[in-house]
Amino acid sequence: MKERETREAAGDKWEVQLRKGCLELAILAALWDGRRYGLEILRRLERDSDLIVSEGTVYPLLSRLKALGLVRSEWVESEAGHPRKYYALTGVGKRRALEMTAIWAQFSSSMRKLLAPLMKAE
Amino acid sequence: MTTSGDAQQRIDAYLGRLRGRLRGANDEEIREIVAELRSHIMDKAAASSQVSDEATGEITTVGVDAALAALGSPEELASQYMTDTLLARAEVSRSPVQILRSLFRWASLSVAGFLVLLGSLIGYSLGVILMLVAVAKLFHPQTAGLWILPGGSGDYEMSFRLGFGSAPAGGRDLLGWWIVPIGWVLGGGLVMLTTSMAVGFVRHYRRSLVLP
Repeated sequence: MKERETREAAGDKWEVQLRKGCLELAILAALWDGRRYGLEILRRLERDSDLIVSEGTVYPLLSRLKALGLVRSEWVESEAGHPRKYYALTGVGKRRALEMTAIWAQFSSSMRKLLAPLMKAE
Repeated sequence: MTTSGDAQQRIDAYLGRLRGRLRGANDEEIREIVAELRSHIMDKAAASSQVSDEATGEITTVGVDAALAALGSPEELASQYMTDTLLARAEVSRSPVQILRSLFRWASLSVAGFLVLLGSLIGYSLGVILMLVAVAKLFHPQTAGLWILPGGSGDYEMSFRLGFGSAPAGGRDLLGWWIVPIGWVLGGGLVMLTTSMAVGFVRHYRRSLVLP
């Protein structure tokens, strides 16, 4: 019983790592068609993808993307009374997003070939 | 948007703990981080109070607690900010100060980081010493430079001298005025080389990290 739990936990951990690895591209993609603030990005990710994103990782990641020059930010006043920090892709960010998408597409099609027999077996 | 006093207190307490842990960022950045998270917490808490419009939602302690729980512990969050941002900055900035700060952070996380930090400190120190001696030569032409001195039992020792004080007896200035261009170029080159290598190592380390 305990052994099965351990195996299941190990499987979950792999999935967590996989989701984390995609997060940078996911955020850039969420900003592709316009500027958004943190909570909007989170909602977009939840709505359009299966990514379960922990909020504690998105904000530091946005900060890092900004330090890398891939996104820029601006504060905008809102009707809610407090200003919100909006993010938008920079030119470099857009190019990087396209690069990463190409790598992603190539990677997933390679895996698809390898995994084809496993998918049939399901 | 109305906020109960208790809810406001919890938000302030959380952000206070976060602020206390955010180091390696300047005041402006810290203020932005805190403001952004406060804004997030308030939006999230208001949205969860089951009112259709965020702008008029009421912020309750229940909503705030849920929002804070979703963010995770402030210590963890601060740690994440520092690692992500500092490492990213080391990659884009060529400033040795910025790089050293990032290396200090990395050194506290792993042995590899510590070794790279050590190597970088040595590289920077040597480079700076060389450049300093080159400059000192201009002010102390007779006494600064790379000197060779007779040691205790017949052997010799070499040392860089900045030239304060008098010339050591029996010693000889090896390079004379050549120390100026050589020290400057070699020292400057060493600083740049150390920077490139440190940035290279940081990049390699970032790639091997699974994104948090």
